[in-house]
Parts: sequence; C-alpha cells; structure tokens
Amino acid sequence: MAYAKLVDVTICTGCRGCMVACKNWNDLPVDTRDYQGSYQSHDKPNGKTWNVLQMKEYENQSGGFEWLFRHQACMHCEEAACVKVCPEVAITTTDMGNVVIDQEKCVGCTYCVQNCPFGIVELAEYVNADGEKAERAQKCDMCNDRIHEGLEPACAVTCPLDAIVFGTKEEMLELAKERLEEAKLTYPDAQIYDPPGVDGTNMIYLLAHPPEVYDLPPNPKVPTSAVVWKDYAQPLGKALLGVTTMAVFTGFITNKLFNKEGHGHDTEEGGEINEETKQ
Amino acid sequence: MIEVTRRQFLKLSGATAATLAVIELGFDPKKAQAASKELKIAESKVTPTICPYCSVGCGILVHVKNDDVVYTEGDPDHPINRSTLCSKGNSVRQLFTSDRRVKKPMYRAPGSNTWEEKDWDWTLDRIAEKIKETRDKTFVTHDDGMPVNRTEAIANLGGAALENEECYLIVKLMRSLGLTNIEHQARI
Repeated sequence: MAYAKLVDVTICTGCRGCMVACKNWNDLPVDTRDYQGSYQSHDKPNGKTWNVLQMKEYENQSGGFEWLFRHQACMHCEEAACVKVCPEVAITTTDMGNVVIDQEKCVGCTYCVQNCPFGIVELAEYVNADGEKAERAQKCDMCNDRIHEGLEPACAVTCPLDAIVFGTKEEMLELAKERLEEAKLTYPDAQIYDPPGVDGTNMIYLLAHPPEVYDLPPNPKVPTSAVVWKDYAQPLGKALLGVTTMAVFTGFITNKLFNKEGHGHDTEEGGEINEETKQ
Repeated sequence: MIEVTRRQFLKLSGATAATLAVIELGFDPKKAQAASKELKIAESKVTPTICPYCSVGCGILVHVKNDDVVYTEGDPDHPINRSTLCSKGNSVRQLFTSDRRVKKPMYRAPGSNTWEEKDWDWTLDRIAEKIKETRDKTFVTHDDGMPVNRTEAIANLGGAALENEECYLIVKLMRSLGLTNIEHQARI
C-alpha cells in the first residue's frame, strides 16, 4: 500500500524541527553555509542535508508581505525518474511507496542527479562497512527503516504543528482536501500539489500559492530522454541481443548435433532427413 | 519426425535455458530489494529528560546504546509536547556527542586570552572566595534609614533545565546572600 507525507505549508511556522530531526535520525554530517543575506540556510536539499526549510519573502497580490515556509525533501514520485535511469538498479520504490537508494549498489554515476525533476538527489561522501569512502547518491528515504517498523518518519513525528503528517496516500489526500477548504478562507490560491506528470508523489503539498511561487515546477515530468532510452531503446537493444545470441547458439548447436557425421556429406544427410519427415 | 536422442534433447534444452537467462526473462531485482536496515534504536536504553532550552519544558526521550547517545526524540507520553520538538530541542543529542562539549571547568584569568582547565575543587573555592570578597565590599545594610541588607554587585541567572525544587533552593541561597538581581534565562 502506498504511504504518503502531507506537508501543509499554510500552518508551518518555519521552526526547522524537521531539518534537525532528519539529521539526528539519519546521522547526517555537518554541512555549513556562509550567510546568504536571508534566513534561508541551504538553498536546497543535498546529499548531506536531506531536508531543508525554504524561507521565502513574498509580496502577495494586495501588496502585503508574507513569509513562506516550505519543508523541501525528496518527493517520492510514483513514477520516479531516478528509479528509471539508475543503471545499477540501486534506486528502488519499496512496497510502501517511498523511493530509496542503496549506497552499496550505487556507483556515483549522477544519472539520478541530472534527471530528478525536483533537483533533490545529490552525491555525498558515503563510508561502507569496510571504512572505504566514496561519493554516492543520497537523499531522503522517508525514514525507510522507521516506517517499515511501524514508526512515522522523524520529521513527521517532530513537527510541533502537524504541518507534516504521515499516513496512507488516500488518508493524506482526504486530509489535504479537508485542510484545503480551511486554507482557502485565508489563501484563495491554495491548492494541493500532487503532480500527475510523475504519476503523483508520495509527498503531497498543500500550498498557499501557485507552485511557481515556491520554485516548484508546475508540471514536473520524467525527462523525455530518460523515457525514450529506458522504455524503448534499452528493452529493444536487450531483446535484439537476446534474439541474436539465441540464433547464434541454436545455429551452432543444431549444426553440431545434426551434422556431426557430416564432413562433406551434409547435403546428402540433410536430404535424407527431409525425405523422412515428408514420409 | 526428427529423431532426437536423449543426449541431443538435453543439449538443446540446456542451450535454450542459457539463452533465456541471457535475455533476462523472469527476473525482477527491484522487487527482491525491499529489505530495510536494522532500526538503530532497536536495543537502546531509553531515559526521559526535560529539554534544557526554553521555558516550555518539552519532554525528551534519550536513546543510549553502547555508552553513546544514538537518538533523541520528543516524548510521546509527555503532556506538553506529545512527541514534537523544535529545532533546538532536536539538537539536544549534541550536548553529549559534540566534540566541542566542555567536560571540565574552564578558567580565563583577568586580562588573559586563553582558557585553562581547572578541577572542580579549585573552581568552587574560587567562586566562594570571589562571592565573599564582592559581597563584603558592596554590602548595603541601610538605604534611607530603612534596613535593606543587600548587594547589587552580584547577579544570578537560572536556566530552563532547572526543576521547581532546584529553583527554590537557588533562590533561597541567593536571597540569603542578599542578592536582588535574580533572573531566569527563559524570561530574557
């Protein structure tokens, strides 16, 4: 069953509890930034900081000033570009709908980094059991270990305002609709962000303004090059390889089997067999 | 019909199986790979505590494993925060794990720019000495003919990690010394 995280940005206060809880649970390293002139700490999630709170200064239609806060992390797309393009099958969708990366299988090719429609995945240092260090793709896995043990993701547990809620996708969509009714009273442009271009996401937003205001792509899609390559070119290539190999093998073996007494008598023997079949 | 001996049949079927294996029929590694890693708080010892930062006083559960704090989270049974925590409360694990944690009293002499480690006996003696010295020098017994018995040269600052009982004892001690500047960090 698909589970989802609902992020209601209309009630978020920007306390960043989710950011620290994520670092705490996933034992992520320090990732400092110089002061950039605003309260925004990191510009976006990266391999060392899996969720980042976006703080935007926004002037609304009536000229009023608004602080926009948005918890940004992996969107866990139903049809995930990273899963599609990964050549090592290191990125997979689990039975609960979250997208996880196996750093043991990852080779750091950055296909996922280049193809993520939300720009979430990035490489970061990974240390394996033998203490070897390598650059591997890393991102939010929706606390894969926690949710498979019946716990909620660390960010959802810690959110003091229930702006991040975790549950089945249906429940979350229902809750989002309920909250949308209330949010519309304050924000007429409020909307649910569950983009159909990637077949829906397992992190749903309830946005107070159109997605562009939050730097979200209004209609994200799996890149066409990835679809063409992975859904058409590669299967065709693999099939051709298989067909060719099969033809070569069968040809070789039948040749060996039925012509082994051959040595110059091929046509005669072949003829005999054909005649026998006819009879 | 083609006469196929048993030997030939085996060879043919073996070749077909090998070919099928090459073109990856019937394999789906994505499904086989849903196993999750072991939960890091599975065998931990859990101790409840109170957040030391603001005056709200959220409950925190500290997970300890192999003499190390592996995780801290909001206490779901605590009536104030019911499992939630803000960014400061969530960072409480670092009070223990940070390599910048100060484990011994540090002393910077007047005019010096370096910190030196001192032991607790020396530190407490030094504090007592200075309190006595300052108090003796600045103690006021009467103001405008009224008995006041106070010193305004020493201030005390409490923290949110203090319990009710600790606060009571601190205030009692400070009042007995004649302090009037008694404050609490959470009110500043």
